[in-house]
Amino acid sequence: MQVPMAKIHVLGHRRRLDDVLEHLYETGSVQLIDVTQDASLHLPPLSLDEEHVRQIEQLRYLRARLDAALALAPLPALPARADVDLAKIEAELDADTPQIERLAHQLDDLGAELDTLPRYVASLKRLLPLVPELPDLAGYEVVALLIDVAHQGVIGDLNAEMEELIGSNFTILSDRVDAQTIGAVLVFPRKQSARVQDLLGHERVTRVRLPDRFAGMPFQQAISAMERRLMEVPAELDATRHELQRLIGTHIDWPAARVHLDARIAQLEAVGHLGATPHTFVLSGWMPRRGVATLRSDLARKLGGEVIVEEVAPAPSETPPVLLSNPPPARPFEFLVRLLSLPRYGALDPTILMTIFLPLFFGMMLGDVAYGLILLALVAWVRRRFRHRSRVIADLGHVLMLSAAWATVWGVVYAEFFGDLGHRWFGWEPLWINREEAIEPLLVFTIAVGAAHVILGLLLGVWGAARSQDRRLLTQRIAMLVALSGLFLIVAVAAGQLPAGFVSPGVAGLIVGLVLLVAAEGALGLVTGPLELIGTVGNILSYLRIGAIGIASVYLARVANELGATGPLWLGIIIAALFHALNVALGAFSPTIQSLRLHYVEFFSKFYEEGGREYEPFGNGSTATSSRQ
Amino acid sequence: MEVGLLAIGAGLAVGLGAIATGYAQGRIGSAGIGAIAEKPELTGRVILLIAIPETLVILGFAVAAMIIILLGG
Repeated sequence: MQVPMAKIHVLGHRRRLDDVLEHLYETGSVQLIDVTQDASLHLPPLSLDEEHVRQIEQLRYLRARLDAALALAPLPALPARADVDLAKIEAELDADTPQIERLAHQLDDLGAELDTLPRYVASLKRLLPLVPELPDLAGYEVVALLIDVAHQGVIGDLNAEMEELIGSNFTILSDRVDAQTIGAVLVFPRKQSARVQDLLGHERVTRVRLPDRFAGMPFQQAISAMERRLMEVPAELDATRHELQRLIGTHIDWPAARVHLDARIAQLEAVGHLGATPHTFVLSGWMPRRGVATLRSDLARKLGGEVIVEEVAPAPSETPPVLLSNPPPARPFEFLVRLLSLPRYGALDPTILMTIFLPLFFGMMLGDVAYGLILLALVAWVRRRFRHRSRVIADLGHVLMLSAAWATVWGVVYAEFFGDLGHRWFGWEPLWINREEAIEPLLVFTIAVGAAHVILGLLLGVWGAARSQDRRLLTQRIAMLVALSGLFLIVAVAAGQLPAGFVSPGVAGLIVGLVLLVAAEGALGLVTGPLELIGTVGNILSYLRIGAIGIASVYLARVANELGATGPLWLGIIIAALFHALNVALGAFSPTIQSLRLHYVEFFSKFYEEGGREYEPFGNGSTATSSRQ
Repeated sequence: MEVGLLAIGAGLAVGLGAIATGYAQGRIGSAGIGAIAEKPELTGRVILLIAIPETLVILGFAVAAMIIILLGG
C-alpha cells in the first residue's frame, strides 16, 4: 500500500530556523522541496551568510580529518550525541594527527615494500646470469636495463653511442628475459657515470633503479638483502597497525562526533533549499499525511507558537514522492517491486498481491516435500547468518522461505518426496494430481491459474483506469475482459464442458470485445486490437511454464532415483544425492525467476502504473534532498 | 512408427523453440548485462527483457504436449 503524502509549508521566525531543522533531521519525516522548484512559492532562496558558509567549511574539514583517521583504524559506530564537544575533538585531532600521519606513512611504505620487493627480486634474478663474473668490479659501475622487444634495435644504437662517448672501455651484455622483455647489463668506468647516465636518459630503455636502501650493492648481494627484508616487513606492518589502532582507539567518542557532524552539516546545507522573507523562513516539503498533526504539535510544544506548520494543496505539476507501507510479512516483497520500478504516486502498490501469488506459483512448480524442507532449512540458515550484512539477503531469504513453505504444501498435494520416493517407500498417494502421469489435467490447471491471474490483473486495471478517469484505457480493459469471456465460453464448449448453446453468447462476446478494442485504439486499432487479444491469450498460455517446470523437476528426481537404484548401495546413494542436490539448486533458482517473470510480464502489464519517485526524507541517516518535479 | 514420428514432432516443437529462445536470450542478455554495468537500477527491467523470449519455448512445449496428448492417445 502507498502512504498518502501531504505537501507542507513550515513558516517561522529566522531565529527558530536551527531548532526546526534539528527537529526535522532527528525525526527524518520530511522530504525537502527546493524553494526554487516549489510552484506555489514565489520567494527568493534563503541565502547563506558568510558565517554559515564558514561554519560549513570548517565542519566539512573536521569531518574529512575524522574520516581519514577512522579509515585507518575503524572504531565501533556509536549513536549521535547532542553533547559532542567539537572543539575537544579538534584539539585531539591537532595533537594526534602528526603521529597518526607518521604511522600512516610508515604503513604505506611497508605496504609498498611488500608489493615491490618481490618484483625487484624477480627482475634481478633474471638479469643475474648476464652479470660478468669478473674478479673485481671496483672502479666500475653496473647498470641493469630492461628493453621492450619491440625496441631491440636500441642495444645496437646504445653500443655505437657509448663507443662514441667513452671509447671501447665498456661492456653491454643482453639476453631475452621473457616474451616481452630484453634484459641488458651495462658495465663502464665509474668516472664516466654522469655522461652515461645522461645518455641513458635519452634512450628508450627502462633502468632498473633499486630502492635507496639497496642502491650500489652488487646484484647477488642485493637479492639476498631484499629477501631478508621481505621476511622482516610483515612483523613491522603488524606492529605499526597495532600502534595506530591503540592510538586511535583511545578516542572512543570520535564515531559519535562523526555522526553529529553529518547532522550539523546536513542541517546547515538544508538552509539553502529554504525560502526567505526579511524576517522569516519558509520550508517546503513532502511528508506522510498521518504525520502532519504530530509534527505540528511537536513543534508547538518545543518552540511555542513561533513556528507554523500548514498543509497546502500541491500544484497539478507537482507529484508527491512514493512511500510504500505494507504489513511485516509483505515488506520484503517491496524489494521485488522496486527491482522493476516504483508505482506512480496514487497507483496500486502490487506488493501484497506479489506476497500472495509469487510463493504460491513457486510452490506449484517445485512441489516436493523433501525439496521444500531442505530449501527452507538452507535459506533459514543463510538468512540467520547473513541478514545483518545485507538487506537484500534478508528480504530475498524471507521470500524464499515463504516459497519453500508453499513448495512443501504442494509436495503433499502431489505426494512427492524426492520425486516418487514418497510413493515407493511410504505408499503415499496424491491428494489431487499425480504430476508424473496426469500431465493433461496439470496443464489445464496451470492455464486456468493463468486465466484467473490475468483476469485479476485486468480487473485491477479497470479499477485503476476508472480511478484515474482514463476512458480509453478503461474501454480497452473492459473490451479485453468481454472478448476473453467470449473466448473462454467457446473453448469450454469445444472441450465439452458446456452445452453447445453457449457458442452463440461466446462468439457474440468475442466480437463485441474485439470491436470495442478496435474502437478504443483508434485508427491503428484494426491491427493492434486483435494483436492485443492474441498477446493476452499468449500471456495466459505462458502460465504453462508452471506445469512444464514442475514436470521437468519430477522427471529429474525420478532419474536420480532410478540411477540411485542401480549398482552398489553406497554408489547409488552418492549418485542420487548429487542429482537431488542439482535438482534442489535448480529448484531454488528457476521457479523464482519464472514466478517473477509471470508477475512482471504477464500480470503487471494489465494494471501496473510505474514511474514513482522514492521518498527520501531529510535526516535520519539520509542527506538533504530536493524534490525536482 | 507413427508413435516415433509423433515423438520426433513433439521433440522438434520444444527443441526449435528452445534454440530460438536461447538465441534471443543470448543477444538480449549480453546487451542487458552491458546496460546493468552502466546503470544497476535497470536490473529488474533487464530480467524482464531476458524473460520475454521464453514464451517461444513455452508455446513449443504447449504444441508438444498437444501432439502427445491429443494425437498420441
